[in-house]
Formats: sequence, structure tokens, C-alpha cells
Amino acid sequence: MAFSDFFQFYCPTKLVFQPGISKDFSAELAHFSLTKVQVITDAMLVKVGLVAPIVEGLKNAGIEVVSIFDRVPPNSELKIIQECADEAIQKEVDGIIAIGGGSVIDTAKCVDILLTYGGDLVNDYSGAETLSGPLKPLIAIPTTSGTGSEVTHAAVILDASTHTKLSFVDRNLAPHMAILDPELTFGLPAKLTAATAMDALTHAIESMTSIQTNPISTALAMQVIPLIRQNILKAVLNGQDLEARSALMTAATLAGIAFDHSMVGVVHGMSHAAGGLAGIHHGLANSIFLPWGMDYNFEKCVETYAKVATLLGIKREGLSETDLARQGIESIKKLRAELKQACGMAENLSEAGVSQDLLEAITEGAVNDGTSFYNPREVVKEDLLPFVQKAFK
Amino acid sequence: MAVFESSERLQEVLGGFFQFLLTQEEMAKKLLASKMVIKFNYTDPALSITIDMTGSEGIITFNDTKKAEVEMSMKADVAHRFWMGNVNLVIALARREMVAKGPIPKILKLLPIIKPAYVLYPQYMKEKNLNIG
Repeated sequence: MAFSDFFQFYCPTKLVFQPGISKDFSAELAHFSLTKVQVITDAMLVKVGLVAPIVEGLKNAGIEVVSIFDRVPPNSELKIIQECADEAIQKEVDGIIAIGGGSVIDTAKCVDILLTYGGDLVNDYSGAETLSGPLKPLIAIPTTSGTGSEVTHAAVILDASTHTKLSFVDRNLAPHMAILDPELTFGLPAKLTAATAMDALTHAIESMTSIQTNPISTALAMQVIPLIRQNILKAVLNGQDLEARSALMTAATLAGIAFDHSMVGVVHGMSHAAGGLAGIHHGLANSIFLPWGMDYNFEKCVETYAKVATLLGIKREGLSETDLARQGIESIKKLRAELKQACGMAENLSEAGVSQDLLEAITEGAVNDGTSFYNPREVVKEDLLPFVQKAFK
Repeated sequence: MAVFESSERLQEVLGGFFQFLLTQEEMAKKLLASKMVIKFNYTDPALSITIDMTGSEGIITFNDTKKAEVEMSMKADVAHRFWMGNVNLVIALARREMVAKGPIPKILKLLPIIKPAYVLYPQYMKEKNLNIG
């Protein structure tokens, strides 16, 4: 493996894992001296009863929950953040508890910026390393196992007025603590379980092939791949399988730390474009594009893909490095077929309801996506289009 | 000791170099296609340079209050090393040697376009007898 010229590793988020811990993490809360907090979540999680026990636990820990903001949509936007931040500022909260998936946690990160420093979110803070210091305590409690947002120092938010995604990247954006309670994912529907886990698998694989990969992120990613391969189907077939849920939650967090340092590549580029143009779920899009993105990068990544193949459980014996790498990609296609059989998750864009008319635009979007910069092979429209077309059928 | 001894010197060197880049037909064409206004805020010494690429030709102004889509802030020394081809933008951002305000993907898309500038910068300085670094 060639070494990077430079790498750094910084993960300030305290991780606490235990089944059921979200109902009482008073011992960990004691370090933060919180008195009044805002809970940020979404309406569905409130409805299914996931939020109430956590709020009860906070109250029992002597913390006043003065605001429960539950209007975060699947793709959070600026207007929502402003509303949420206005409420947090008005109630003078001294910390934020985010309960949800990536959209909720990213919303909480941006609300925390406005709560701590005020100002205009886009003009003052969009970009890289724009914050002048730490934010007020943010505790993330993920309810899906995919995005890794509970440990990343980035947030992506939709600007509905321009239909563009705005990115905020700053070391201070990483949550102060992540409470990993796999029981919170027991009720996650099978398709969503599959899609979010494939999202985490994509994070792991792309973090290994990114031009910014490094030995530490690779070490984490290598742990993630077998955890997901061995547990994804178990969790899809039986949502209450604690061991499988624990493995997926741990894997998603590890993958989050990995790609937070290495970044991702063309698979995410295609998924971002498909998400923006066709509204396809991010994890599902990654699942569809993963083997085709790997295929696009194949010549540049044979050694890494061979490693991925062994981590996916393929025996090396008798296979050349190239054949092993190919088997790795085939193994991911096979996994998707198994997931389709188990829960009906789409294997291609057509099944996911994406119009064929959008393929060129998706390709162009991928070329212009920020992730392309980190891809091991230059992302060129004419070269990529055939792979997007393959992902359609 | 700082590479540029004064704001005037910085303006002469980098301002002049940016003006020179806009005369490079191929690069200018691609930069103008970005339709961006980018502002560089330098410290040690202090100067801001705005390049407006929204029109048919690039316009460079100094210490302008014009709103820019992207603002890049850094020490002038870092800027010098960057144009010498000795600073990786992504690493510089990660190390906080540079701060980027605005759409990061758009900034990253400029990198391949300005790649030839790393060769042109030392040449430009040599031709202009600007002995720095």
C-alpha cells in the first residue's frame, strides 16, 4: 500500500455503546453540566414512541427538556434549521440532543452553530473550517445504522431556493458524544435496514479507495466490511436480532469515522446526483451504484478490491489478484440480490423508479459533485455514462 | 520572516500574477466558465483580492467589499507556497492553513483548471524579477 504524503486523525466524539442505554445515560451526561436542552428529532420517531423514553431519561438526570423540535424532514433544509435554532435561542438552551438519522443529526449540527455563534448560516459558515471555536454540547443518538453523522465533522443541508446541497465542514461540528443504542433500530423497516447498511458499506469501501485514504481510516474500514457482510441479512430478516443490530450500528459508526478522514468517491457522486434529481434514498442509491462505481475505478483499485473481496468472505486460493478483485464486486451484486429477495430492495435504478431520461443528468451531476475530486480515477462524463446506464437495468 | 514585506508588494506580485493568468487563453476560458466571484483574504500582510469571473472577462479588484460566492482566507506565505505548487488545498483546509467559505465542490473543481499555474508562477516571478522565496 502506498502511503499518503500526509494524514491526520481526529475523532473528538465520545462513543458510548450499550443496548438500552439511551433511556439512561445520566453518568455520561454528568460530564456536560447541562441544565436546559433542546431535543431535535422527526415526527415519525416521536409517533413510534422512540423519543419519549429518552426524554424521560434526560428528565430523570435532572435536565430540563425545554424544546422538542420534531419537524426535521428526510432532507433537512435551511428554513427548518432557522426555525429550530430560533426556538433553541429563545429557550436559552445550553445543549442539544439529536435523536434520529443523518438528516436530524446534520440539522442539530447547524442549529448548534447558530445557537453558539448566531449569524447567518450560509453566509458566515458554509464551507470548510469557518468556525472560530467549539460549539455548545451536542449529543447524537442515531436511530439508523448508516450515515455515521454521529461522528463526522460535516453537515449537508438542502438550500430549497436553489435546489443545491450546502456543505459545512469543521472539526468543531463533530458531536461531543454519540450514544449508540442498537435497540433503537429494532423497529427500522427491513428495506431501510438494508439501504442504510449498504450506505455504511459504501462508506467503508470508498474510504479505502479515495485519494485521501490513510492507514487509520483503512484499518477502521476493514473492520466494517465483514461486520456488515455477516449481519446485514440477519438484521433484515429479523429486526429484533440484537447481535446483528449491534454489529451494524458499530459498523456504521466506524465507517463514519473512516470516511470522515478519507472522504468518498464516485459512488457517492452518482448517489448525490440521483438523490437530487430523482429523490432516491441515499443508502439505496449507494447500494445500486456501488458495484458500478467499483467497476469504473477497477484498474486503479485492483489491490484494494482484492482486499475487500477477502473481507467479504471470498477465499483467495487459486485466484489472481485481478480475479479476486472482480469476485469482490460480484459478491456485492450477489449480496444485493439476496437483499432483494429478503426485503424487496431495488437492485437497479429502474426498479427504484428512476426515469431513464435522467441518466445523463445524473452522470453530469456526479462529475460536478465534490466527491469526484477524491475519486481514484478522474470522473469524466463520457467515461462514466456507460456505468450509470448499467446501473439502470 | 514573511515572504511579502508589504501589502503593496503582495498586490504587485499576486495581483499581477492573477492578471497574467487571465491572459492565458485556455485557462481563462475555463475559469470564466465557472461564473464565480472568488475573493482571497490574505493576512501578513493584509490584502484582499477579488476575481470576478461572471462576465466575458475576468475583473480583478483589491480590498473590494463586493460579495463573493467563495472566500478563501490564508496567510500570504501560504498563498505563495500554494502557487509554487507546494500546498495541497485539501490538506491545507484540513490543517486550517486555509479557510474556505462557500460551496466547497466549486472550489475543488477549480483545482484541475489552475494546475498549469503552478508552473507559470515561478516563471512569472522570474520574468518580472520578483525574487521571492
